[in-house]
Amino acid sequence: MSMDITADTIPSALPRSDSDRAATSMRRLMLAFLVMGFSALLVGATIGPLQALNYGGIDAYPALRPLLQSYYQGLTIHGVMNGYVFTFFVTCGLLVYLPARELGVAPNLAMWRACFAVMALGTLCVFYAMADNSSSVLWTFYPPLKGSPFFYIGITLLALGSTMPLPILLKMRATWRRHRPGEITPLVTYMSLTTMLMWGLAGVGVVAELVLQLDPWSLGLIGTVDPIVNRTLFWLTGHPIVYFWLMPAYVSWYGLLSRQVGGKLISDPMARITFALLMIFSLPVGTHHQFSDPGFSSIWRGILVVLTMSVATPSLVTAFTIGLSLEYAGRLRGGRGWFGWFSALPWGDPSVAAQVLAAVTFILGGATGVVNGSWQLNAIVHNTTFIPGHFHVTVGSVTAMTFMAISFWMVPHLTGRQLVSRRLALFSVWTWFVGMTIFAIGMTWAGLYGVPRRAWVSALPHETYHALYGMASVPLALVALGGVLLWVASYTFFAVFFGTILFGRRTAPPPIPFAQSFGGPASSTIDSPPNPAQSASPLIRALDHIWLLTGVTALATVAAYIPILWPFLHHVTRAPGWILW
Amino acid sequence: MDNNTGMSPFEAAFHASAERHERFWIFGVLVMLVLLTIGTMFYVVHDYGLVTGTHSYATDPQAPAREAAFQDGKVVRTGPNAYAVYVVGRAWHWSPDVIHVPEGAEITFYVTSADVLHGFEIQGTPVNLTAVPGVVGTVRYTFRHAGLFRILCNEYCGMFHHAMVARIIVDPAGTP
Repeated sequence: MSMDITADTIPSALPRSDSDRAATSMRRLMLAFLVMGFSALLVGATIGPLQALNYGGIDAYPALRPLLQSYYQGLTIHGVMNGYVFTFFVTCGLLVYLPARELGVAPNLAMWRACFAVMALGTLCVFYAMADNSSSVLWTFYPPLKGSPFFYIGITLLALGSTMPLPILLKMRATWRRHRPGEITPLVTYMSLTTMLMWGLAGVGVVAELVLQLDPWSLGLIGTVDPIVNRTLFWLTGHPIVYFWLMPAYVSWYGLLSRQVGGKLISDPMARITFALLMIFSLPVGTHHQFSDPGFSSIWRGILVVLTMSVATPSLVTAFTIGLSLEYAGRLRGGRGWFGWFSALPWGDPSVAAQVLAAVTFILGGATGVVNGSWQLNAIVHNTTFIPGHFHVTVGSVTAMTFMAISFWMVPHLTGRQLVSRRLALFSVWTWFVGMTIFAIGMTWAGLYGVPRRAWVSALPHETYHALYGMASVPLALVALGGVLLWVASYTFFAVFFGTILFGRRTAPPPIPFAQSFGGPASSTIDSPPNPAQSASPLIRALDHIWLLTGVTALATVAAYIPILWPFLHHVTRAPGWILW
Repeated sequence: MDNNTGMSPFEAAFHASAERHERFWIFGVLVMLVLLTIGTMFYVVHDYGLVTGTHSYATDPQAPAREAAFQDGKVVRTGPNAYAVYVVGRAWHWSPDVIHVPEGAEITFYVTSADVLHGFEIQGTPVNLTAVPGVVGTVRYTFRHAGLFRILCNEYCGMFHHAMVARIIVDPAGTP
């Protein structure tokens, strides 16, 4: 708290000056979030391709024995490091840093440091538990499989730490509004805030699972847990986490990308509507991950289908708004005809290339997502390789590539060092794009042959592997090929990322490419001129009442979960733990 | 207007056209999603659907697996052309591990687990049911063609999860 008394507001011009201490601390801390996040990805992405080779029938694990005991240990590390640690660190950095700079208001640095420290401690605990093979329970850690207390306490800390940007954001927004009464929240701040509010609500599920059940269970304080209640609580958080992965990428697409391509965001209201819808619809639908479970009524399954289809709306709106914003920039740059605007985009900028390519992969990611949500189609693909095929073209491309894209301008911005090689950066994102697309096509295709996800199929005797999965040999070969390409892509990226931080040539730090929207102000900082053009529509003004939005979301979530949890809570099963790896 | 908002003529024209197309797009999106929803629900309502149900719950996670029906792993005839099949998942095998059922008969699978979660997937069919300790789940399916099908475990259950495979042999109709 002491930080924000001294630096409650900072003139927007000041952070660009190296002499400003608060601004320097902000930059250092942001860099720490990025480095920690991408280091986690380095670990996760190193292991990932081994799993792709596994599906291609190549068993690399016996050769790695002292380091990795099994495919399942590696898969646990891959999921936790990429899905939790990588995304949480980058997001908790970005969604404080970008709003702080957009508003020109200093964040509460002590709180932001605490967020980093809590998550770092959590990472340490969970990594220790995974590294000694005491907790090979995968990233979904369904009980009654029982890992070590370090695992569950580590995840608890990660989950709690990842919600800490919320109070920081609320405080910054309050400061800004005191100085600019009557104006609506600037876009990047609005998007960051709805993301964190969504996540704060969503976190209740997994935190309840961990604090009330798995933490005391692993410590020996309680003897048994209920498998299906915990599974339901997990997915209460486990589905919204998908949007906690996606929404920070959308922040960059809506808030920055239009400027990076040399144009403007064509619709500020649509961005707000998208985030409000994502917040409302992502919470009540988690149980669609349990279409194959016994125990809850078919009526609710039907309702979940409708709600799940609804959550596709904001993503389809995003496709339009981002697509048209890119077209506007492309035409300004001289693009002509049906597709000329697309090739006229600044493809030489690796940050632009990464984000546009990520958006292209999301066509496959979104379409497969609609399949997963469709109940009867879900029965065909549930827990087959179709599912990881789907989410590698959402979180594995949209989120990962957008975060890589952000690092390409942000590392120079934070360190005052030039990218070591623009060409290598471009090579890494194109290879990632091609590798991930091939991988995802292979995985989704193989899933249609019933190849189960999360299975060490390469450890089966050769004849058994062929008897079970021989008909899927072409898609499974694609999976392996995609994996190898991703290895090349990720190491090239890490060479650029760490190379720039350590050895990049000194340069003037580039500014943050905040996009201007059609009719919107050039700057929204606390000391910028008042914005009279903000005759926002009543809908946009209503959406700015974030507590109303939060209330509606919370109500919808409670309404959806009471009927689902009710029968489970009336038929409690007391299951002891099992350690089976 | 151009002066008020600081837009160039190209920008203003693009903006106006964008707003028109935006409304059209959103209308198209909503129609598409409504059709998809109706399409996906149609199958369920018209009984083509595969719906997982619950037969019973128990406080003791191993209680269902100890019941006689599950112990014997029998195929029980429940009607002129209907059968009940009882299957228990255990790390790391299905019991029984070979099941004979007739072609064209309506089979109700009763599935539970004696330890951790397992996934009851019959490869090449939409049958997909989570085996939960303490809960007996059900799923109904009719095999239209004779032949060999495999039950694969598709919910991670430990070190030999991938080797948890059983067989369903669908006998041609008319064989005793």
